[in-house]
Amino acid sequence: MLGKLDWSAIPFDQPIPLIAGAIVLVGILAVLTWVVVKGHLPYLWHEWITSVDHKRIGAMYILLASVMLLRGGSDAIMMRIQQAIAYQSQGYLPPEHYNQIFSAHGTIMIFFVAMPFVIGLMNLVVPLQLGVRDVAFPTLNSVGFWLTATGALLVNLSLVIGEFARTGWLAFPPLSGLSYSPGVGVDYYAWSLQISGVGTLVAGINLVTTVLKLRTKGMNYLRMPMFCWTTLASSLLIVAAFPILTATLAMLLLDRYLGFHFFTNEAGGNVMMFMNLIWAWGHPEVYILVLPAFGIFSEVVSTFSGKALFGYRSMVLATMAICVISFMVWLHHFFTMGAGPDVNAIFGIASMIIAVPTGVKIYNWLFTMYGGRIRFATPMLWAVGFMVTFIIGGLTGVLVAVPPADFILHNSMFLVAHFHNVIIGGVLFGAFAGFEYWFPKAFGFRLDERWGKLAFWFTFTGFYVTFVPLYVAGMLGMTRRLQHYNVAAWRPWMIVAAVGMAVLSIGVICQIMQLVVSIRNREALRDRTGDPWDGRSLEWATSSPPPVFNFAFNPDVRGEDAYWDMKTHAKQQLLEHEVPEYQDIEMPRNSPTGFVCAFFATIMGFALIWHIWWMVILGGIGAFATFVVFAWRDHDEYVIPAAEVAAIDRVNLEERRSLVSLAGAI
Amino acid sequence: MSDQTHMHVEHDIAPGDEEQHSVGERIVGYVVGLVLALLLTATSFFIAGTDLVWQPSIPVALIVLAIAQMGVHLVFFLHITTGPDNTNNVLALAFGLLVVFLVVGGTVWIMGHLNQNMPPMDQIMQMRR
Repeated sequence: MLGKLDWSAIPFDQPIPLIAGAIVLVGILAVLTWVVVKGHLPYLWHEWITSVDHKRIGAMYILLASVMLLRGGSDAIMMRIQQAIAYQSQGYLPPEHYNQIFSAHGTIMIFFVAMPFVIGLMNLVVPLQLGVRDVAFPTLNSVGFWLTATGALLVNLSLVIGEFARTGWLAFPPLSGLSYSPGVGVDYYAWSLQISGVGTLVAGINLVTTVLKLRTKGMNYLRMPMFCWTTLASSLLIVAAFPILTATLAMLLLDRYLGFHFFTNEAGGNVMMFMNLIWAWGHPEVYILVLPAFGIFSEVVSTFSGKALFGYRSMVLATMAICVISFMVWLHHFFTMGAGPDVNAIFGIASMIIAVPTGVKIYNWLFTMYGGRIRFATPMLWAVGFMVTFIIGGLTGVLVAVPPADFILHNSMFLVAHFHNVIIGGVLFGAFAGFEYWFPKAFGFRLDERWGKLAFWFTFTGFYVTFVPLYVAGMLGMTRRLQHYNVAAWRPWMIVAAVGMAVLSIGVICQIMQLVVSIRNREALRDRTGDPWDGRSLEWATSSPPPVFNFAFNPDVRGEDAYWDMKTHAKQQLLEHEVPEYQDIEMPRNSPTGFVCAFFATIMGFALIWHIWWMVILGGIGAFATFVVFAWRDHDEYVIPAAEVAAIDRVNLEERRSLVSLAGAI
Repeated sequence: MSDQTHMHVEHDIAPGDEEQHSVGERIVGYVVGLVLALLLTATSFFIAGTDLVWQPSIPVALIVLAIAQMGVHLVFFLHITTGPDNTNNVLALAFGLLVVFLVVGGTVWIMGHLNQNMPPMDQIMQMRR
């Protein structure tokens, strides 16, 4: 009846996951009770859960990423403590638990923190920057978000029901095959990635279509803000690369469920094929993450330097070059695994070449800052911190791209330090910069600068104190994923790294404090103008938060930096009190399709993991039926009458006029 | 939303959007495509089993027929043309082909190499003898 599921799946003998699970459960129940008692449930259902508004979906993506960042961060803290104390002892985490923690940490941080964070920011900002009213497929967007949330939910369920994979974040066979991982851990891993992978793929398709097909009047390709370009490149990579991941995991699942032999050593399977395919997805994946971050930094650097982006066209070219070359370097993840010198040399050279467009970008940002009047607001601090950190990470990356060096550094702590250096320094700093920068746009009030700066300095310092020792430990020969060790020379570095982790945690606490303080002082921090940073692109041309239709009129774009143009040329026109001709606006209706689909997908995923076949069929039919009901709907749009548009827009225009006349008075 | 989608896209029409052809013309197009596709399929089956041609040329012929089949599908069913209204589709196709070429070609090359340098255990043992 319940497949492999019984009471032995709950780890009653392991206090750590049980207590953690209990705390989370109590937290969720408390929030749910509060929501129901206070009567917020209808509001949540109508305004958020069923919303197909790209701004709301973007915000929910970012919320999901932030919550999962705390989960992945706790895993990181546990690992650092373990390695600090596990010198000539077992530490406090038994090996099977430690292995689950590093696997969960990697999986969560890439798939459920970095991915939703950048996709959330792209969702939130790109339609606004393009001057349009929504993404190309609004309901599909909601489906994508909720499927990602399903994946995150399944990973978290593994904490208390069963176990997670003990294989590392990419689950290489034969270790992840049925004979070496008979438990449900790898199944949790694979099914949650399959389900959230579908979500990511539809998000990618949606964003590609949005950028290619929905741009406002005059928004040529070469007038798009840089963030739209990096979104396009990153989404193209999603569309091209994620099917590889899906196919590879599907083959692994066939091996595990139906006795196939794709990646076994018996019956003609080849373990190395998994390695090859997963990295053919895995390397584009890192550029999927970092390209949007590059876009964010381009926007931030140009806004806070008060200058147009230096070398816009070279930036576009560099972005598209990275997009293509990222598909030509994947072998550098397994230089040491048997390829000959020809293959290693070619892929090593390709890996070094891809650093060139990235270097072009760094110089462009530096020259944008050069001669500018720089304001060091929190987003700009993150941007400058990124440049310093990412250059170091990039240099160690070029180092490990040299095959002979890689033979020494492969699988060492040096490598761990390298990829944290680029992912934290690039993606996470970028996500935080984007979060600080666009928060006023999304919610209508700024974030507290004092706490923001504290958060930056603690995170920045903490990052170096944590990861520089890992570089050193790698040089001293320490390999990754060690549950305990007996080498005295490594010990001090592990202790320093644990101290760094504590500093990093203070940074995270500051971020949370910043949010709390800002929400409490929201009236004082209110952004009435819609343009708190003196911005340059179209998202600042509408109010904060934008109305559901984003723009009362589709803006007319006449050059790069569209809004900056309008501000400099149209001050006089804006001051003239002409009353525009408002028209009715059609917007897509809310739809519970995404939530219901994800509900059934969760049931199906859980049932597949535990081999509860009747429930698999139930979930599958439910998800398909939801899709059919959606496809046969009669009304998919509603009309906002011109009078309402006028009423909403008038407030925005008044605020903006008072701002312009104020500036004129000075 | 529809007012936006058509605002600037006179030269850039999505698949399924094209209304400039009459129904009759479109039906003729699909019928021609269907006939060509069936013809190519039938030829493939015929060639695979025949001994009328030089045997080693059969795999090559099958590959050529398969590529032609893809071309027919692209032109008649997916409406990929070289016209200016089709730039996005052609570029998307080119990007897709490039990625497939890189991944498949790279995989074949890499896996061949891995097999050269990492033979199964019994072969290593034989080499040591």
